[in-house]
Amino acid sequence: MRKHMASFEIDCTAYLNADGAPLGDLPDFAGDTETVVALYRAMVRTRAFDTKAIALQRTGRLGTYASCLGQEAIGVGAASAMEPGDVLLPSFREHAAQLRRGVTPVESLLYWGGDERGSDFAGPRNDFPVCIPVASQFPHAAGVALAMSLNREKAVAVAIGGDGSTSKGEFYEALNLVGLWTLPAVFVINNNQWAISVRRREQSAAKTLAQKAIAAGMPGEQADGNDVIAVRDAVSRALARAREGAGGTLIECLSYRLGDHTTADDARRYREDEEVKAHWKEEPIARLRAWLVAEHGWSKTDEESLLRGAADEMDAAAEAYLATEPEQAASMFDHLYETLPGDLTTQRAEVSDG
Amino acid sequence: MAELTLVEAVRAALGRALEEDPKVILFGEDVGIDGGVFRATDGLVQRYGFDRVRDTPLSEALIAGMAVGAAAHGMRPVAEVQFMGFIYPAIDQLVNHASRLRTRTRGRLTCPMVLRAPYGGGIHAPEHHSESTESMLAHIPGLRVVVPSSPARAYGLLLAAIRDPDPVVFLEPKRIYRALREDVNDDGTALPLDQAFLLREGSDVTLVTWGAMVVETLEAASALAGRGIQAEVIDLATLKPLDTATILASVAKTGRCVIVHEAAMTAGLGAEVAAQIAERGLTSLLAPVRRVAGYDTVMPLPRLEGRYMPGAGRIVLAVEDAMAFA
Amino acid sequence: MTTFALPDLGEGLTEAEIVAWHVSPGDHVIADQPLVSIETDKAVVEVPSPWSGTVEKTYGGPGDVLKIGAALAEIGTGGAEDKGAIVGEVAEPDREITAGPADAVERTPSRGAGVSAAPAVRQLARRLGVDLSAVTGTGPGGAILSADVEAAGEGEALRGVRRAMAKAMTASGAAVVPATLTDRVDISGWGKDADPTLRLIRAICRASAAEPSLNARFDGTRRTVRERVDLSVAVDTPDGLFAPVLKSVDTLSPGGLAARLEALKVAARDRSLTPADLSGGTITLSNFGILGGEYAVLVVTPPQVAILGAGRIHDAVLAVGGVPAVRRILPLSLTFDHRAVTGGEAARFMAAVCSDLEAPE
Repeated sequence: MRKHMASFEIDCTAYLNADGAPLGDLPDFAGDTETVVALYRAMVRTRAFDTKAIALQRTGRLGTYASCLGQEAIGVGAASAMEPGDVLLPSFREHAAQLRRGVTPVESLLYWGGDERGSDFAGPRNDFPVCIPVASQFPHAAGVALAMSLNREKAVAVAIGGDGSTSKGEFYEALNLVGLWTLPAVFVINNNQWAISVRRREQSAAKTLAQKAIAAGMPGEQADGNDVIAVRDAVSRALARAREGAGGTLIECLSYRLGDHTTADDARRYREDEEVKAHWKEEPIARLRAWLVAEHGWSKTDEESLLRGAADEMDAAAEAYLATEPEQAASMFDHLYETLPGDLTTQRAEVSDG
Repeated sequence: MAELTLVEAVRAALGRALEEDPKVILFGEDVGIDGGVFRATDGLVQRYGFDRVRDTPLSEALIAGMAVGAAAHGMRPVAEVQFMGFIYPAIDQLVNHASRLRTRTRGRLTCPMVLRAPYGGGIHAPEHHSESTESMLAHIPGLRVVVPSSPARAYGLLLAAIRDPDPVVFLEPKRIYRALREDVNDDGTALPLDQAFLLREGSDVTLVTWGAMVVETLEAASALAGRGIQAEVIDLATLKPLDTATILASVAKTGRCVIVHEAAMTAGLGAEVAAQIAERGLTSLLAPVRRVAGYDTVMPLPRLEGRYMPGAGRIVLAVEDAMAFA
Repeated sequence: MTTFALPDLGEGLTEAEIVAWHVSPGDHVIADQPLVSIETDKAVVEVPSPWSGTVEKTYGGPGDVLKIGAALAEIGTGGAEDKGAIVGEVAEPDREITAGPADAVERTPSRGAGVSAAPAVRQLARRLGVDLSAVTGTGPGGAILSADVEAAGEGEALRGVRRAMAKAMTASGAAVVPATLTDRVDISGWGKDADPTLRLIRAICRASAAEPSLNARFDGTRRTVRERVDLSVAVDTPDGLFAPVLKSVDTLSPGGLAARLEALKVAARDRSLTPADLSGGTITLSNFGILGGEYAVLVVTPPQVAILGAGRIHDAVLAVGGVPAVRRILPLSLTFDHRAVTGGEAARFMAAVCSDLEAPE
């Protein structure tokens, strides 16, 4: 006899279609013009930063940089739902979330320009810096969540990783623990369909990445990653769950990587322009703008002033970054330990500028 | 004969290996249609097909572990980890399995795998992409660690590594992936493993190095020759097992040794070379054995990277100290 | 660089107003990325970039009206170039770099066997001036040991008296500024029994009374002129040179002096001199002439300031009363420390010595 033991369902949240038209009732916050404009502004600001960073890299003034073009809604939606006391653990592509959390453009440029001070955030002091080894931020998130729960903070650890990151052992191990210990963690997957040149269907045979949470005994769901209202809504619900002690959630946000993997990649080596062109039609900023214009009286003056403001801000940030002198060489040693041990003071002296 | 860069030589060796032995398979992230993030496998999937050149999901532990399994079961896998900075999840498979499969089965199962990874700094890369932790791997009994320093040696040593019946970690110094160009005869001739290469003869000091630092070391040797100091330059190539015979014979002749590596000083491979000389070559020495190495700090981000990497200047100073020891 | 013209937006429109630019000159755009928002009668629309490249120039600003087909932007063609590296910059060769020869260089055998000696042993050899290549090693594998270094070579490590002498002479050489005055005394008038050593001792005492400056001690800064003459007398023994001190020699009777002198010589030979016997001298007499030699530049041993040397007594032809005559000659050498003694003082001292020695008794 075979008895049926388990099934699962994965839901996907979406509120605005690709043209910015509502698909049904919208969440309450979407009725507040100020809130929605803030979401729009944050996405535009992110794109302006992204454009500036690429321009700097192409002119030899920034190191290799990973663009988030087309994925602005995921980071903005998630970060907008977070409280100041929450902790963000980003991958290397979540500039939208970092900027929305208060990392300054100058800090971000310093980091990508090769200066460690860029990770010494003045704003979100407890947020983690950019994480390069893929998926290694998930176990960190589990640890942060553990600390939060032990300290009875009503806070949540929010980690964001790409579709590729869900193939890593550390992703599964972290998920398993968050599920098992009911930790206040939310794992957001920026599924932009690409892990460098490996597309989503070559990354996993699972129909959805969200369902990997089911294996860990945790809820998993999808959201339209190009719909900032949907992302914000899904993450808000997950954060509320976590805050009331109900544990973690995996949210897979579906989007598309419109740019290259990094400024050193040429995606035309492995994908066709036609495919990318089709996905521009779904991009998050145009979509929200259309709805803003239609439902919230967004005018062309508003648009022009916002675009100009964002461009000005990023110009100023680039200038400030370029004007920042590198640290003294001895700084390599200054934060290695609390107190630099004996032999290393000799090495530090050897490398000191004076 | 064609003039090839180091990464092209790697590609040629991989192609030759795929051609001559149907048991050879390549896999790793982005090695297929993208041809590898440094183009080391460019064009290979087109020639040899998707069965033999495979893109894996993003899983280094899996990549190494799968190589162990395939190797134990009759294949000759050549796996790639995209950067040495991402090799650490694979270390469990390398240390606990690849290195000891033969001995723990008393030869019944063996592990003829190669794990390739670009390594080393100096390319102004983001964090974690400039690692030189080769001494961690050289510490492991049962593992071979090989580092080429020129296109021809990359070709010959990689072929040797692929044909070797035991596991080899093949670390490619990415800083010189394209900086050097030389004639490479793509005729399938391997170079010997476990043997150092004498790149320059001299009688005053022995310079021991490997990987990209060979370039700076040869530069230093030229500068020293201008000051009347003749340096002998040894490229270790195989870091484990070390060709101590070549090192000791050279030090017996010169009486002085400076070891150069970009990896951090403490417990870097230079320490092992120095210990070997102290133990077995003490009576030849005219001066202390010196190491010119990276500082014992985390590799800094690009803005300070240049202050970390040893250059020809530091090597020359160390040699002059040795010469003046009297 | 290619000009991108404002495309036909449909619906029979002939012109449109620029709302806002999404990019600025210098920005890199990829195909389909929004370049500019423009307003038609109906709505604000995004105009996407037709290709990937760098925006060189944009035409018009917010509020400007452009005709369909008018130049909108200049976009340099060329998207991402294949850098062949997913991060960082992997340099192409821009100069001649070499990583050494393709084939292993033929190893020539090392020249000679080389010298096998531990660093400390080498240092010892350097200090002792021993040529290691001439030493046979008795250590493992023929390695040269410290003992081998000490035993080998042209000399031996100085010990005892010789070492003391070397040390003393080194000290003297470092400090003293020596000057030497020579003279010769006609001793033809001496009786047959005259003892040159006793005569010399007496002469020194008399000269010290006449010119005390040479009977002094000088430590480099302070000079102490002594009244009492404590005479160091150089005694040569098989073990080496000793200089026992005849204390208060100016107070001794000739008989007492002779006895004392003999006692010291015996003690020197049988190595029973005490440190007290060897210290405290104020001036030295070296009667080297007994062994050989005429004149000598001797070594002043601080804190003394003078040493009188007597050479071999011999016959010589002198001018006496204007004609050559064979006389008995005692050559004298007086070396003094010119830091503490003037030439005049030395000359007067010497004159007094000569004068006393010339006397028949």
